Amino acid sequence: MATRVEAPPHAAVLRSTGLVAWLTTVDHKRIGLLYGTTAFAFLLVGGIEALLIRLQLALPGQQVVTAEFYNALFTMHGTTMIFLAVMPLNAMFFNYMIPLLIGARDVAFPRLNAFSYWVYLAGGLFLNASFLVGAPPDGGWFGYANLTTRPFSPGLNIDFWILGLQILGVSSVVSGLNFIVTILNMRAPGMTLMRMPLFVWMSLVTQFLVVLAFPIVTVGLIFLMFDRFFGTHFFDVAAGADLHLWQHLFWAFGHPEVYILILPAFGIVSEVIPTFARKPLFGAPVMIYSGILIAFLGFGVWSHHMFSAGMGPVADAAFALVTMLISIPTGIKIFNWLATLWGGTLRFTTALRFAAGILGVFTIGGLSGVMHASPPVDLQQTDSYFVVAHMHYVMIGGTLFGIFAGLYYWWPKMTGRLLDERLGRLNFWTMFVGFNLTFFVQHFLGALGMPRRIYTYSADAGWTLWNFVSTVGAFVLALGFAVFLVNAARSLRRGAHAPADPWDGRTLEWRTSSPPPVHDFDEIPPVYSRDTFWREKYGDRHGRKPVPLPPVRDPHGIHLPAPSMWPLVASVGILAAAFGALMHVALLAGGVLVTVVAVFTFALEHHRTAAHAHQIGNLDVDHRKLAMWLFLASECFFFGTLIATYLAYNGRNVVGPHPHEILNIPLTTISTFVLLMSSLSVVLALDGAQRGDRTRARGWLVATIVGGLIFLGFQAWEFTEFVHEGLTLQTNLFGSTFFTLTGFHGGHVAIGVTWLTTLLILDLRGRLSVTDALKVEMAGLYWHFVDIVWIAIFTLVYLIP
Amino acid sequence: MTSAPPDRVHAEHAGVGTYVKVAVILTLVTALEFAAIYIRALTPILVPLLLVMSAAKFALVVLFFMHLRYESRVLAFLFTGPLVIAIAIVVALTTLTGAFLVYKR
Repeated sequence: MATRVEAPPHAAVLRSTGLVAWLTTVDHKRIGLLYGTTAFAFLLVGGIEALLIRLQLALPGQQVVTAEFYNALFTMHGTTMIFLAVMPLNAMFFNYMIPLLIGARDVAFPRLNAFSYWVYLAGGLFLNASFLVGAPPDGGWFGYANLTTRPFSPGLNIDFWILGLQILGVSSVVSGLNFIVTILNMRAPGMTLMRMPLFVWMSLVTQFLVVLAFPIVTVGLIFLMFDRFFGTHFFDVAAGADLHLWQHLFWAFGHPEVYILILPAFGIVSEVIPTFARKPLFGAPVMIYSGILIAFLGFGVWSHHMFSAGMGPVADAAFALVTMLISIPTGIKIFNWLATLWGGTLRFTTALRFAAGILGVFTIGGLSGVMHASPPVDLQQTDSYFVVAHMHYVMIGGTLFGIFAGLYYWWPKMTGRLLDERLGRLNFWTMFVGFNLTFFVQHFLGALGMPRRIYTYSADAGWTLWNFVSTVGAFVLALGFAVFLVNAARSLRRGAHAPADPWDGRTLEWRTSSPPPVHDFDEIPPVYSRDTFWREKYGDRHGRKPVPLPPVRDPHGIHLPAPSMWPLVASVGILAAAFGALMHVALLAGGVLVTVVAVFTFALEHHRTAAHAHQIGNLDVDHRKLAMWLFLASECFFFGTLIATYLAYNGRNVVGPHPHEILNIPLTTISTFVLLMSSLSVVLALDGAQRGDRTRARGWLVATIVGGLIFLGFQAWEFTEFVHEGLTLQTNLFGSTFFTLTGFHGGHVAIGVTWLTTLLILDLRGRLSVTDALKVEMAGLYWHFVDIVWIAIFTLVYLIP
Repeated sequence: MTSAPPDRVHAEHAGVGTYVKVAVILTLVTALEFAAIYIRALTPILVPLLLVMSAAKFALVVLFFMHLRYESRVLAFLFTGPLVIAIAIVVALTTLTGAFLVYKR
């Protein structure tokens, strides 16, 4: 293979192994390793919490921990495993492998990638700091309101949970946007969408779920936070609130979250099985469509978590139907993996064992899931250990086994060392046996009527035997994790060096060294088919090798992003602000200030870097523009949830004032007109910027900023009037929903004004040229979106009686 | 990643005249919305009428000011696909909480 090695800029810094290099790294591989090590540490924390739970339940009447601490244990176990361990372990593979699998040198936004990691770490530290101050979250991982409102949970426990999850949400959404753009826009020439490896496809689908589902729970968390901090009434039944709202908002996120966790594992299995069966994946296109269908249907099944909440037969039937439907694409995947194995030349490596293990244990979890899809059956199983068993068969038997398959498969690529296969087999079998011992018997416990989240039980309940067996199983499972740690440590210290292609792989990552160089590939690799590297090595089914394509050379040499400290600084600011929200307003203000300064510096850091000027990718769209549209799509869910809540609570006021008594429609019509005209002025500013007419662009930018300020002035006047007339956030449901919805919109307008003002200042200082028109376009897209959200609000809140 | 001239896409966008026309239509529709709520004869169809006018304004801004009419179909799909799902979730949430406008009237 011909190579052309050039020393990329900052190469020495990028290769450095010092602390500063790691703290400022923007290299996707290093960030992947940071995710992996941090997530594994949290996996161990979550595992210890699980062992304490099992010790407490091993025998009747135990008092290993207090009841209060037990509540914290099961809450933090679920929260940790989902948000701090499994999602970030998947993120490790996204980060390390996706650029390699698509033939890219890095992700689309390397500094945002680092920001995602540091914010994730901040969120994890913040959540677990709650233990240090004696206030760990204790309301269950789904934080049902009104149990989690201030009257029923007066301590800081739930505050840690709310703020921690919001911080983690920022990390996840930013990361999701980054990977969607990376996958859609940074593929090597020849890698069409249908030629992408299955792991990349499932990662893409997962990122869409993240970007679209997280805003829903973010809004729910904001409501809960406002109820606790500011005395709003979103979950105050006495004020007319409906507690189903929290469940809807949580599960409208929570069920897509299940697929956020499992789909990457499906992708890993779809890479591992063909490699070790030495066969192409059976029905690969159908596997892709199945993944997309799972994600799409995943948005329509959330209320199956609420069958016992009394939604009525129509809603129950609809959600039962969609839930049953979703088992079809999932089943397709299982059968296609089996068909891939069938007739293959199997090599039973540890990676294949874990992948094959999923076929058995995940299917058990899937089948018990189909049972839950039936409302009458679900009513018997809800909140019992049967559900705990089901969930863990999906989450461990599916997701975690998939992650371990990926670890054994890609470890040589990531570390340059091989893991020991004998220890690997021991690792697999201890985990497989321990897992089934722990959780299969929990089906029996559920059938015997043992409720989940129960602190202890009496000896005459008949649950002792299976609880004891389950606890023994949990320790065997823990032993499996310990074996992996030993294997990993041995590999890193004295494992055999891995060649570039240790498994005779099929995809692009095996085409570069193990571990890859800092620039991933000396030359962008050619892509001939889905299993392109295999085809390059062995040809098609008739052994015909493809005609070699000429190497793809970067026209300006290899460009690698420079390290940056600002992602880390911004996350420190966010962490400080979160602690400040619970401790002292000065710390909150300081944290916000640091974050704002870091974000501005971050944004302007490469304002004049030539290599950042144009970033057109496969879709013929600039990375930043693509990211902006995706962000706006995500914002549709954010504002959609706020608007839905306003509508859901419309007319439920127990006390006045009511909307028709207080809304000033003529005045709002004028402010609406002003905002609409500011959309015209910003598009004219863009037109001027694109034509290089700086005077015109500057004039219309000023007009837009003035329009935005007038709109904000109207809103400030309206809010002041309402307060004078007795309507505040705390007055009634209308006050809570109105001020929250319009306030968040006003906040967006304020951000837009700040953004446009920054561009204006750059222009006045002569730092905005015709090549920066895209920056005006970005701000303009955001501004127009704020405008269309107001169009909806104006109609739904003001005009419709 | 390849470089492209900065004004490559710009040439395909609408011109100033189109922007002004859209702004005029937006103003007129807003005035109609305002007037409609004071016309008693429109009461039976007021809600659907207001929703249609609002949707029209929404579409005009997205298609012309945000240039989605001139962008690639992929970009249009990436925005409108999630938008449709978000609207479906809004409808589902308002229906499930017993507040769906159509059922209430």
